Amino acid sequence: MQDKQQAALSRRNFLRAFGGASTAAVATVALTPTEALAYGPGQEEMRARYQETDHIKAYYRVNRYPEHK
Amino acid sequence: MARMKFLCDADRCIECNACVTACKNENDVPWGINRRRVVTVNDGKPGERSVSMACMHCTDAPCAAVCPVDCFYTTADAVVLHSKDLCIGCGYCFYACPFGAPQYPRVGNFGSRGKMDKCTFCAAGPEQDSPEIEYQKYGANRLAEGKLPLCAEMCSTKSLLAGDGEIIAEIYKERVTQRGYGSGAWGWRTAYRETVGV
Repeated sequence: MQDKQQAALSRRNFLRAFGGASTAAVATVALTPTEALAYGPGQEEMRARYQETDHIKAYYRVNRYPEHK
Repeated sequence: MARMKFLCDADRCIECNACVTACKNENDVPWGINRRRVVTVNDGKPGERSVSMACMHCTDAPCAAVCPVDCFYTTADAVVLHSKDLCIGCGYCFYACPFGAPQYPRVGNFGSRGKMDKCTFCAAGPEQDSPEIEYQKYGANRLAEGKLPLCAEMCSTKSLLAGDGEIIAEIYKERVTQRGYGSGAWGWRTAYRETVGV
């Protein structure tokens, strides 16, 4: 009878201890401050891609009226 | 620093929709999305005007202002781009945009829309070092190749202008000065001047 009671208690203690430990682990993860992951584009992404090449100069030229000579 | 802008000369646009087709083809835009579209007002009536519309790459972009995950950024040459890795497809930018530029690839259960897609001024996206992934997500990066957006480059009537805002404004001003008030592009007098009575 005594053994049975002890076994029952240890089972309960085990569950209590396990439950308590997992709750504590969740709380630790939730409360640990982490760095915010806001998007910060780097210099490479922000750099200008436009370059006034001959191709683009030709585009501007043909969009104007032809020059009168 | 040059600032990239689109300018549609509405007096020249003939609603051919070639800009729409060129954009879809060049950027491999999926079904259901048009990054560019042609809007016509007073359709079929005298005074009809068509305007080719896409993302106008606003200086203080409202889409960027409302984005809850802050996925938009503006490049040094004033092109408004976004990261599809961060976009959650909430649709706020669609409601904020005065031009209806943001598009979504699907309509799913519970309002899921997929990642937002919009005109990139043919400057693709943040993945500069991986062109294949960049192309799949955002389309062509013509600007880095020393070219301008294809929609503007192939416009047959030279209606859609793109490029350095100051230069294209100058081109447009020159046109307006030359042709005067209105284009006169409506009616028989365009071809026959004043020799014909309408």
